[in-house]
Amino acid sequence: MRRSLIDAALTFVCAAATVAAIGLFLAILGVVTLRGASALSWRFLTEATRGAGEEGGIVYQIAGTAIIAATAAAAAIPLAAGVGIWLVMYAADAPRRAVEAVVHAINGIPSIVFGLIGFAFFFRFLDMKKSWLAGGLILALMILPTLVIAFVERLRAIPRDTVLAAFGLGLRRSDVVRTVLLPHGAPGLVTGTLLGIGRAAGETAPIMFTCAIFAGATLPHGIVDSPVLALPYHIFILAQDSFDPAMVVRMWGTAAVLVALEVTVSALAIPLRLTVAKEASRA
Amino acid sequence: MLELRDDAPDLINIHALSVRVRTTGRVLLQDVELNVPKHRITGIIGPSGAGKSTLLKAINRLTDLMPSLEVSGQVLLNGVDVRAREVDPDDLRRRIGIVFQQPVTFHGSIRRNVTFAAQRIGLVNRRNEQQVLEESLRAANLWDEVRDRLGHSAGTLSVGQQQRLAIARTLAGNPDVLLMDEPTSALDTASTAIVERTILGLRKSKTIVVVTHQLQQARRLADYIACLCATDRGGALVESGACETVLLAPRHAETRRLVGLAGGIT
Repeated sequence: MRRSLIDAALTFVCAAATVAAIGLFLAILGVVTLRGASALSWRFLTEATRGAGEEGGIVYQIAGTAIIAATAAAAAIPLAAGVGIWLVMYAADAPRRAVEAVVHAINGIPSIVFGLIGFAFFFRFLDMKKSWLAGGLILALMILPTLVIAFVERLRAIPRDTVLAAFGLGLRRSDVVRTVLLPHGAPGLVTGTLLGIGRAAGETAPIMFTCAIFAGATLPHGIVDSPVLALPYHIFILAQDSFDPAMVVRMWGTAAVLVALEVTVSALAIPLRLTVAKEASRA
Repeated sequence: MLELRDDAPDLINIHALSVRVRTTGRVLLQDVELNVPKHRITGIIGPSGAGKSTLLKAINRLTDLMPSLEVSGQVLLNGVDVRAREVDPDDLRRRIGIVFQQPVTFHGSIRRNVTFAAQRIGLVNRRNEQQVLEESLRAANLWDEVRDRLGHSAGTLSVGQQQRLAIARTLAGNPDVLLMDEPTSALDTASTAIVERTILGLRKSKTIVVVTHQLQQARRLADYIACLCATDRGGALVESGACETVLLAPRHAETRRLVGLAGGIT
């Protein structure tokens, strides 16, 4: 009797936690959509911002966000693949533990600190100006732990006999990496990348010091002095004008677009991961 | 020293082979002495934890990939110490192939599974790929079952077929020695029979060392038997000799106990 009560209580607590999590997500989605709905239109999505943000759309903010998120992913993927393979395949025990600790420590660094690091490195040290590349690279560093952890988890799930069987055929380490580890680990890297892109696209602090401006930019025209517009930074600036009701609606509209992008990327993670796993097994 | 002797020359000589875990000092194998005759099947029997699998991995230096293990003693292949500086461990593992208990298939087609490793190490090229593929699959008794679907994923094969695919893949590297770690323990009776037929068919051209828990299987397959037992000092080879002698008239108490526990050999 007592055990069945404990079972029932545990089931209730778990179910309640799940409902609360989903409810919170739906509530955020609902608030953002309802408050921003009146701003959303085809023109809002396809036109450039005019004036001080009170007119036009957010097409270049969407493009800028996509560019820096894609840059972050492009830079982080090879780095994460290298770190992951090294941790699983080559590292001795002590350096492996040290690097794993560093990777987890990076994950714990506040995003504003990444912004400051990016500012110090790109502007003070390299003497650059605001650039999509600087923003993308600092975001790459920020999302690196997400990619490494997802990739390494997947690599560690490979049965030991599978790796030993590959070595048992006389393959060199590089061959085992290419033919066994990468195909098996790819779905983990895809998952990590999509989660990382989701996080990179939504960050404000790292990009406000490194690449984002509020107005006056379109698509990047170079590397060193080539700022971009970005959705989170746009929201941040509009929020400072929150006494103006028109601006508030446009802010919520921008937030709705950003949330929709985040949800889309997250939703892609599951089927894309399955597709990569399936294709890897067919390759 | 316990020895296996008949007219066949020894291909592998193992002297004072010990394996221990560095961190704990636990001994997995202690002073193993064993000679493995060429083109014969040597069965390794013994209870769980006696170090049978470790012995196989020490022979082809897969233990090198386990930094926690420390290996001492000698394994001579054709008189050359496999751990000598001039021996390339990757080449050694090609010459001493291994098949594991659980069938291992890699990503990709049946064709790719058989030939990719041999291609990487330069034994297979476009000209001889089909020939090596067919010969390896025939030797593994799998050709007739897969000849029409070589492009299909290896994952579509049954477990028994996957194990024969693993054997074919190892054979594509043309090894001198085939180490088999309980190759039928994951298989049903019918698949076991086919794999056993495959092993017996390979005896003419390969030197085979097969670990098995099944004494009846050891009797069906092996020319020679080596019995490993777990002792206070770690896994030790307590008795070896001709199959019938060891299984029907064991000299060592541990071997008698092992045979007796298994219900005896009939």
